[in-house]
Amino acid sequence: MPPRLADPHRFEIRIQGQLDAGWSDWFDGFELTDGRDGTTILTGPVTDQAALHGILRRIGDVGLTLLSVNPTPSRP
Amino acid sequence: MALPVLTTKLFVPAVRPHAVSRPRLIEKLRDGRRAGRKLTLVSAPAGFGKTSVLSEWMADARRRDPLLRVAWISLDAADNDPARFLGYLISALQAADPALELGAVTGQPGSDEQTLTALINALAASTTPIILVLDDFQTIEAQPVRDAVSFLLDHQPPTLHLALASRSDPLLPVARLRAGGQLTELRAADLRFTPAEAAGFLTEIMGLNLSATDVAVLDARTEGWIAGLQLAALSLRERDDVSGFIAGFAGSNRFVLDYLVEEVLQRQPAPVRDFLLRTSVLDGLNGALCDAVTGLTGSSEMLAALERDNLFVVPLDDRRQWYRYHHLFADVLRARLTGQDPGLHVLHTRASEWYERNDLIEDAVRHALAADDVERAARLIELAVPSVRLSRHDATLLRWLALLPPPVIRRRPVLGVYRAWSSLVAGDVEAVEPRLAAAESALAARDETGRPAHDSAPSEELRTLPVTIAVYRAAVAQARGDLAGMRTHAQRALDLTEPGDHLGRGAAAGFLGLAAWATGDLDAGVRAFGEVRASLRRAGNLADALSTTIPTADMLLGQGRLRDAQRSYEDALGEALRLSAAEGTPPQSTGDLEVGLSDILREQNDLPAALAHLAASEALGEQAHSHENRYRWFVSMAHIRQAQGDPEAALELLGTAERHYRRGFLPELRPIHAQTARVWISQGRLGEATAWARARGLSSSDAPTYLREFEHLTLARLLIAGHRADPGVGRHRQALHLLGRLLATAETGRRWGSVTEIQLLQALAHAANGDTVRALEPLETALRRAEPEGYCRLFLDEGEPMAALLRHAAAAGIAPDAVRRLSGTLAPGGLQAGGSEAPVGGLADPLSERERHVLRLLASELSGPDIARELYISLNTLRTHTRHIFGKLDVNSRPAAVRRAEALGLV
Repeated sequence: MPPRLADPHRFEIRIQGQLDAGWSDWFDGFELTDGRDGTTILTGPVTDQAALHGILRRIGDVGLTLLSVNPTPSRP
Repeated sequence: MALPVLTTKLFVPAVRPHAVSRPRLIEKLRDGRRAGRKLTLVSAPAGFGKTSVLSEWMADARRRDPLLRVAWISLDAADNDPARFLGYLISALQAADPALELGAVTGQPGSDEQTLTALINALAASTTPIILVLDDFQTIEAQPVRDAVSFLLDHQPPTLHLALASRSDPLLPVARLRAGGQLTELRAADLRFTPAEAAGFLTEIMGLNLSATDVAVLDARTEGWIAGLQLAALSLRERDDVSGFIAGFAGSNRFVLDYLVEEVLQRQPAPVRDFLLRTSVLDGLNGALCDAVTGLTGSSEMLAALERDNLFVVPLDDRRQWYRYHHLFADVLRARLTGQDPGLHVLHTRASEWYERNDLIEDAVRHALAADDVERAARLIELAVPSVRLSRHDATLLRWLALLPPPVIRRRPVLGVYRAWSSLVAGDVEAVEPRLAAAESALAARDETGRPAHDSAPSEELRTLPVTIAVYRAAVAQARGDLAGMRTHAQRALDLTEPGDHLGRGAAAGFLGLAAWATGDLDAGVRAFGEVRASLRRAGNLADALSTTIPTADMLLGQGRLRDAQRSYEDALGEALRLSAAEGTPPQSTGDLEVGLSDILREQNDLPAALAHLAASEALGEQAHSHENRYRWFVSMAHIRQAQGDPEAALELLGTAERHYRRGFLPELRPIHAQTARVWISQGRLGEATAWARARGLSSSDAPTYLREFEHLTLARLLIAGHRADPGVGRHRQALHLLGRLLATAETGRRWGSVTEIQLLQALAHAANGDTVRALEPLETALRRAEPEGYCRLFLDEGEPMAALLRHAAAAGIAPDAVRRLSGTLAPGGLQAGGSEAPVGGLADPLSERERHVLRLLASELSGPDIARELYISLNTLRTHTRHIFGKLDVNSRPAAVRRAEALGLV
């Protein structure tokens, strides 16, 4: 059985290159933070697997390089 | 308003004027195809020049081989609808090679697999090499479409080569093809510009004055990513401070695309920038549409200027009417559109309005949904329901419905009923009725002013909705095997239809007819199917009207009306011939009609003609058979083989029939397994037949139902044969018991075809028990009814026991015309061949049937006037009959006649 995720779950997605906050809407309201090493970290809630795949596809659609995807502990 | 095939989707992109030629990649692709590999896969993220390299390859390949044809489809998310995808596939191949014989593919609707098979056959029949390019394959996620492409790969004719471009590896058996050396691949690492290519592009093609160091910096910063280099080149055009720009770019950590698009946009005049941003919501760009969305004029000129300036617009046709943005560029523009005025929703709404005005409802719906205007989307979807259903693009409609909030659907009964229908075809029978009930109450609801309280717009669809609801309820009842419910709902639908609603009447009468048929009420069934045929004809659907001949003829046969059945097949085939001449392809039921006529000719024992019609049916090809009726060909051939005395061949054909059998709408009245059991019984393989009867749970004490009549008549044959083999058990009594009850039911239902067969079996049951006298009575009735209709094989297929019985009948002068005709067909030497079974002292001049009847009465206690009354004849006529009888028997008194008749076994 696949591991169950707390619902909704937050994810931290790291991509190559700096993106300004204007891209937040494109990524369904994910927060964009500067990774300070030429990368950008997208953080936001993911309701289910389909939503996660949707975000990853948007990253691919604009040719961004995906570095890592990690679940983060839910905020209180 | 049907969903049209957009030729823009099939446009093979020309090699762009500012493109870098990539000989190393083209050579690799060329070698792969020359080596006979099946698939070329170009798999890389956005902006790596996948489309460009494929279009360059196509141009190169066509230059080298002028015979080569190229079919190109630019896929998008809507192509996840398999009907739509196959539609484009067929159109693309036909456009590429007009000589391809695709009549069989497009002629009739069939399953996806049938369509593909016909398509592959058409390709295999052609010698013209063809490359099929499926661009943007990453948009395909639906399993049925992926299955279709896999099927194509698995059955690829050698003349066809397939090329896919995708942003992610496709969910196809790529690993298998790679391992089998059947795959040529280009990936991001191959597509990236080498430093030399980057230099060539920037300095030669874009004409920039750059140093080798500048080129190296740009190549490193973009990592050879072509979209990045193109944007960089655009930013550098007509810029004075080249080294300043490059330094800034190289020193920035910003996402390459983000940085460069901003640079490019900044360098555009404000009107161009606004135009780019606002029209980025569109998948296709044309002047009028862009005018509507931007609220400006002159968009056509703007698009032409953008193409000239190489600003990421791609022409979609030769006449420069439609363009699109390069996907990557459009996505970046859309990402930047937020916070602009007017906002995204307004732009999408304007686009939706434009598409609606231009009757492109599918696009109108898409933009309404993107604008989050679900009410607008729902209204448009309702408009699209009739045309989408006609074009069978149901997956499209279902995808839309899934995007609408349930309350919106609840307030629109037209959509609610469509939703119910979708559950029905998906096999989710339980979900149908709640949806129909909800739609029905929405339809009936009134507001305080007494007006309808639902949101469905007035339309033909809405007006006939009560009929549609009743028809779907009949379909649910059918799916549940509830014949009474099916009849009730179908009758209600018929009562509700207006005279002009031909399709509604046809559908309702169809269910009514099927229910009547399955319950054995053949009079009502024939009437109902007559109504179906008339309605379909009035609706202009001549091909489907023809296909009602098959159930109608089946029912006529149940009524014992062999000649009427023959006439209806002959008339239908004449009509099919006329339609075929008018339309170039025979209607789909033509092959089935030939099979039906063959079966009737076989019953009349004209086996050569029966075989000729089966051959004619076969020659028409697969497309002239409905999927559902294909098995009938093999059953008919099996019957012919059995008649020719080759039961093994018959069994094999019945096995093939079983494999072709598809559960359809028509009741399964002559199950193939029961036909197999009949062949076994004829072969004396009673053990196997008994096992069959046990497995089917058949018993001679079963209540007779029409749906099991064929099985019960098979069981009766098994019991009779069992009695012959082992008379001790008295199985013939079980058979007679069963047959008696079957006879009563069949007579009540006026199914004279069944009655004849039952009486024939009653005769055989008595004969098996050595009771020839009692056997002759039902045999005579059966023969007399069967004779004018020309039945033959019904009797002959019973073999030697029937032949023996017919010899007795001949001796007794029973139904002499029928017996004579049947005897002529029995080999060798007809009925007389039996020797010991020959009639005792046959008469030179046999008695007529009427005379035999009179003779039997003469043997009774009845007086002359009583006999005349019994026969409804005058005393004078009786005297004439008596005189003839005395003459033939060579006697001159009533007691002498009776004695002589007894001696001859005539009474």
